[in-house]
Amino acid sequence: MRLLKAIFAAAWMGWQREMEWTNPVLSLFIKTVAPAAAVLSAAAVYWFGSSTVGLFTPGRLAFIVVGASLYGQVAAYVYVPTSAIAEGKWSNLYPQVVITPTSSIPYLAGRCLASFADSAPIVVISLAVSYYVSYALFGAPPTIIVSPTSALMVAVALILSLPSAMGLGYVLGSYSIFVSRWEWALPSYVSGVLMIFSEALFPANVLPYPFSLVAQALPFTYLMRASRAALIFDSWTLYLTSLTYLLVGGLIFFAIGLLVFHLAEKSAREKGVLDKKTM
Amino acid sequence: MYSRAWVRVQSTFGEPLWLAVNLAVPLLSSLAMALLYASAGISKYTGFAILGGIMLAFWGNVLWSMASQFNWDKEEGIFEIYLVSPAPITAILVGMSLGGILATVPSAALVALIGWVFFSASINPSWIAIFLTFILALASLYAMGMLMSSLYLAYGREAESLNSAFAEPINFLSGLYFPSIGIGSPFPFALQVAASLIPLTIGMDALRKSVFYAGNVAAVGVDLVILAVMAVVLLFLGDRALKALENRGRRQGTLVVRLR
Repeated sequence: MRLLKAIFAAAWMGWQREMEWTNPVLSLFIKTVAPAAAVLSAAAVYWFGSSTVGLFTPGRLAFIVVGASLYGQVAAYVYVPTSAIAEGKWSNLYPQVVITPTSSIPYLAGRCLASFADSAPIVVISLAVSYYVSYALFGAPPTIIVSPTSALMVAVALILSLPSAMGLGYVLGSYSIFVSRWEWALPSYVSGVLMIFSEALFPANVLPYPFSLVAQALPFTYLMRASRAALIFDSWTLYLTSLTYLLVGGLIFFAIGLLVFHLAEKSAREKGVLDKKTM
Repeated sequence: MYSRAWVRVQSTFGEPLWLAVNLAVPLLSSLAMALLYASAGISKYTGFAILGGIMLAFWGNVLWSMASQFNWDKEEGIFEIYLVSPAPITAILVGMSLGGILATVPSAALVALIGWVFFSASINPSWIAIFLTFILALASLYAMGMLMSSLYLAYGREAESLNSAFAEPINFLSGLYFPSIGIGSPFPFALQVAASLIPLTIGMDALRKSVFYAGNVAAVGVDLVILAVMAVVLLFLGDRALKALENRGRRQGTLVVRLR
């Protein structure tokens, strides 16, 4: 019960930090503009390139629009632990979280849940905006299946991506404990790498070997595949297979993340760097 | 001007790790877009993505190290030191721009190098036109950064959210990775006109012409004139906006108020 209370308190705090700094509608708008524009950039690149050589297909456009929209969700998680710990060190919040009876693990879990709650609607809105703007600009709608079933399937896939997102969050949180400069560097690299390796924009087999194997090993790749199976391919087999990989890979990620974070925090306590603000 | 530029150059070249930090977004974004071109079977356009990454390095520097800088300086108590020093604020901004350009050159060069090594994109350059376009594009971009810097000074902490919100839409409208104006643009005419008000749009268009299609100075002449006019107008507007906001801040006593 105490654990749940701590997670809820952290999630509420994360929500306040992300959405309540101004009018929530304005906040949602500001947070949606960037991912929607990023999706449209990717769609425009595909449209420009493929239409000049007569290779444009609405199916491939849908592949890009769905993947790039979901990438917004994945990228959002990457910055949460850094924001929670790096900013927490500057505001002295993080050391206070550490000395609470429930420690910082539920705190980061709560912040990730808050990020899920605020980024999920952003994914839906940017997907919808990208769909209609793509239709208007390129004259061909992305072939996306919109139905209660497909929406539910994507929602389940997003929920099952939480363990992998939290696992990644704990690993990045471990990094944030030890750095007091360049704290945004690793998240920037990780989000960029995920754009290339998570099948957000193109299939993994485009990458040269052995990089394609890296993409296959990432649970986020299966979030993309499961969502595309629901929204584009209408394939239960692909959906359920991807979901299984997503969950299993996510649980492994989560376990590794927890272990790394636990060891990092223990080491930081011993070295006295938990509240270190300068290098 | 020299002092502020020197600080910025030192802060980057004195800490080589900054190079790696600044490289992340432009490099990985341009690689992703180049792979997107390649995956769609249109490898001949991968160079567009690499060129976009090079300019993204500078645009990122304008957004995060120019536009937001005075707000951060205010939070750290440096802005009030600028105000009481005899140096004109505009000179400090120009120095910051020059230092920012010099500090970003290595990241941009690495994006170019890595991009061309990976994708071997073919170019057909007209070097004089590239040089002139590049200089004028940077001048107008950094002048826009100076204007934004004065506006963000008034917005306080909201500046960071505004930066995050503006970056991608401007990348999209300005056609960082694809032509957003002229031949090949997916935009309707009205949107192309609106996009042309952003210096990055004109700069990217002219750079694509001069890097990939051997567009000489005559071919990009109109773009160069527009960029030069934009640089002068934005510099003037930035100076006026800064003076107006500085005066307002002095009267209201908000110039050095932190964490608004």
